[in-house]
Amino acid sequence: MNVNVGDKLLGYATDPGIRNRGASGGLVTAVLAAALERELVEDVIVLKHINEYEAVPIITDDVDEVLASTGSMHTVPVNLAKHATGKKVAMPGKPCDVRGVIEQAKRNEIDIENTYIIGLNCGGTMHPVLTKEMLINMYELDPEDVVGEKIDKGKLFFKTQDGEEKGISIDDLEEAGYGRRESCRYCDVKIPVNADIACGNWGVVGELAGKATFCEVMNEKGVRLLENAIESGYIQVEQAGEKEIAIREKVNSAMLGLVDKWTEKIFTDIPLQERMKYYMEQFADCIDCGACKEACPACTCKEESKCTMYHNLADDYKMSMYHMVRLLHLSDSCVGCGQCSDVCPVDIPVTTIFRRFADPAQKKHNYKAGMTLERPPFLEVMLK
Amino acid sequence: MKESVYQTYCPGCGIGCGLYIRKDDKGNLSIDYMKSSPANLGKLCRFGVTLAHHYSEIKTTVTGSEADVEDAIKAAEQRIQSSDSIAMLSVGNTCNEEHMAFTRIADTLDTKVHTGLSIYNELASHCHGYLAGMPFAEMEKAKKIALFVDPYVQYPLIVRRLLIAKNNGAKILSVGTKKLNLADENLPLEPDEYETLEIDNESLIIADIHPNSDDDHIKRLIALAQETGAKIHFLRPFINGAGASLIEKEKIGNMSLAQIMEDIEAGNIRTLVTLDSDPVELLPDAEAAVETLKKLDNLIVISSRKSPVTKLADIVIATEPVYMKAGTFISVEGRVQENSGEGVDGIDAMSLLNGELGGKTFDYQQMHYRVKKCVENAEKEMAGHTDNKASDCVSDVKEVSRSVPEDMYELSYLYNPFMWFDQKDDNDFVIIDRKLVKELGLKKGGMVLLSSEKGKIRLRYMLSDLPEGLVLTAKKLPIATGAITNVSMEGC
Amino acid sequence: MADRKEWEPKIVAFCCNWCSYGGADTAGMGRFQQPASVRVVRVMCSGRIDPLHVFNAFLEGADAVLVTGCHLGDCHYVNGNYKTEVRYQFLEELMIEMGLEPERLHLSWISASEGEKFASFVNKVTTEVKKLGPSPLKPEGVN
Repeated sequence: MNVNVGDKLLGYATDPGIRNRGASGGLVTAVLAAALERELVEDVIVLKHINEYEAVPIITDDVDEVLASTGSMHTVPVNLAKHATGKKVAMPGKPCDVRGVIEQAKRNEIDIENTYIIGLNCGGTMHPVLTKEMLINMYELDPEDVVGEKIDKGKLFFKTQDGEEKGISIDDLEEAGYGRRESCRYCDVKIPVNADIACGNWGVVGELAGKATFCEVMNEKGVRLLENAIESGYIQVEQAGEKEIAIREKVNSAMLGLVDKWTEKIFTDIPLQERMKYYMEQFADCIDCGACKEACPACTCKEESKCTMYHNLADDYKMSMYHMVRLLHLSDSCVGCGQCSDVCPVDIPVTTIFRRFADPAQKKHNYKAGMTLERPPFLEVMLK
Repeated sequence: MKESVYQTYCPGCGIGCGLYIRKDDKGNLSIDYMKSSPANLGKLCRFGVTLAHHYSEIKTTVTGSEADVEDAIKAAEQRIQSSDSIAMLSVGNTCNEEHMAFTRIADTLDTKVHTGLSIYNELASHCHGYLAGMPFAEMEKAKKIALFVDPYVQYPLIVRRLLIAKNNGAKILSVGTKKLNLADENLPLEPDEYETLEIDNESLIIADIHPNSDDDHIKRLIALAQETGAKIHFLRPFINGAGASLIEKEKIGNMSLAQIMEDIEAGNIRTLVTLDSDPVELLPDAEAAVETLKKLDNLIVISSRKSPVTKLADIVIATEPVYMKAGTFISVEGRVQENSGEGVDGIDAMSLLNGELGGKTFDYQQMHYRVKKCVENAEKEMAGHTDNKASDCVSDVKEVSRSVPEDMYELSYLYNPFMWFDQKDDNDFVIIDRKLVKELGLKKGGMVLLSSEKGKIRLRYMLSDLPEGLVLTAKKLPIATGAITNVSMEGC
Repeated sequence: MADRKEWEPKIVAFCCNWCSYGGADTAGMGRFQQPASVRVVRVMCSGRIDPLHVFNAFLEGADAVLVTGCHLGDCHYVNGNYKTEVRYQFLEELMIEMGLEPERLHLSWISASEGEKFASFVNKVTTEVKKLGPSPLKPEGVN
């Protein structure tokens, strides 16, 4: 069957093993494996399973490792963008992973023509330790008993070994301080339209529910990816119906509806005269670990970068040069993935601070970082 | 491309931060954040973030030339057999199982393994509970916290615990280091003024013990806890310092690192066997340590990484890097954490050496079982004792006083992971008191000249509020003669 | 700290070698009255001024920073000052978000012959900054 840009398809892995193991028909795993086997790419980025709550990204050229990798997990808030630099890879990715890849590509760190991105719908990810705590306190479940999770109709469900399923509304969880990471709550890209294909289970209903993936072909690379997997017999696809398309859109707008609520709640206005003090206090406990830069998918600097080279531990500045430079650089490239807040050893809400700077600047220039390669970073380039 | 991933713990200090080490097929290392790790939630300090750079490959050598492990072990056996004054040192830079294997060898040789901490000898064994750590969750619940360390520099991952405590309403007092942003009050107190801290039984004292710490000061703090009923939490350097003090407790030697060096100088120790412990790195005066070690007849080093002592060693028995080892580590919280690695080179080598020396050979499983038993026993013991409550532990607190000649300053080390591992860091400056700037007529952006009996050094400086006469540094300086060095200062 | 009335702000002026640096010179030669508050940093082009230089000036104790360059279209290097303009707009927003008063940062195009313009610009900014007082980013012990 011919695949065209703009197609909205339902697909699944032909191999029953892959199909049943994968969360939604194993389409993503099968497409990645096919890309590797037929040498569309040299390597694939996958998540290596550690336990029910954790996985680590690795690069592999072994099809078996791709097949053994975990599917999407809500408790693995990593960003894969930096793993793709300098390689010919295929990779899965949440919208923020894809945005990271595009920011890297804008700065010539990733050869986008040779990087195939399978986008995954994402309503948000959760922190593994908080999730375990939430299971004990809110679900009254033993984290070790949990074998599966899913999000359905605004509720987060966990399944235990003995088949029991328990769901609590995400709203309630988040009011109690659990649920999705802060940056996910205000993230406004839920369907990765910036990827080569945008996949997910939103819109898969009826007989195929849980057994197939909804897949939108975004560009020519997406066509190549899918045709490659179809020709090699890894996957089967069919056109999605009106109903499926409508449901997918409905889920998306429901998710986006929550965004406004959280944006308002998190980005409370700080009076002008208090801002300086607020930011100085936020950064005052920084221990200079540099993890926010290391983990940042938008940062393309290597070890010797402006933020570190102009910063000296002996400086007695009221705010460190490191953060000042990062604030500048992130204003036109922050994709809001939340990695910096995650890894901050003193719990500075770094992502939220960066968004406070990036949002007005990006809005003014009608620019959204990581969505398309067509617009270069506005800090570096002339207006005309 | 094929990458493998190891689940391991940061060797920088005893906090036990979980992390992943990723290795590609060219041997390049990178770290990743283990967000499910309960001690640190994946967060790391500057040492942890740059950890991939700190590993240096090591080769097995006999008198400087590369050798087979078996030959090296035979050579080690001969040297050990022909010597009758042997000391063994393991401070806790490797897993419990290897440390256990090391004590097996000590058993065969009828000697003990020293961990470099003499405080265990100074305190009766029922008081060792004071030295055991406690879960960080306790830290978050304290009403008042007296800090005798600089958490930002020395044990960065407890900063967030302290901030949580502060959010929960704790009052934080910092005693005697630089001005700390998170502290409510920074008090430049002398040991005889500690009563003014007004510590009570809902308070927590946080300090640290390490091979260069001052036993009298530790006893002073335990006495303070004893008098007030406050809890006390000792932090430690090294990935497994807590384990090294707990495994085969009754077989631990009681010599401090300094005493071992004195005995080598005096000729009482002729052979030193070390397990992932480098006196040159650990001692403040590296040059002096090198000179002392040169006086040994035999220096046998079992190590997983290259360090200054491996250059001096007669025999180096190389083992796999710590992240690849099979084994467990005990954090300062008392948490037993296990590596995902399966490397047993270290244990196999020590088993072989033990066999050559006339002892029994063993394998990883046996060592692991013994470790498990030790940990279980320790837990039982702790449950029996109401640990932190023993009241007859310290009676003879020596007056801890500083004697600095007039016009001189006390250069004191803020020990941190970079110092323990002798790694390059950006801490290229000294921290001085504001008042001193005026006294010395220092200019903004200028340098200060420090001189000790060992020499002079020019450094940048950073300002803080410090007790009078104190100068702090977080970098190992060649002019130091001890953990505290008297220096004179000039502007330049 | 000195009495408020006597307090003289520190103003860092980044001047382009080909124009505003000459403008500052002309101002001096023309004996236009100027406050003692300005420290001139000569750069080869205003396009060389990285926003981080501006921030560093503030962190080192500047109460205001002036970015000056050639009039648009007159750049010695064709388009350097257009880049300055982009960055300046961007910096301006960052300043507001950070809570630094926008009056502490100014952009002006001054040619080598405009000595009077330079002098009056500096005078104007000095008066404004005097009203605002010392910058909140000024390190302790620096006046």
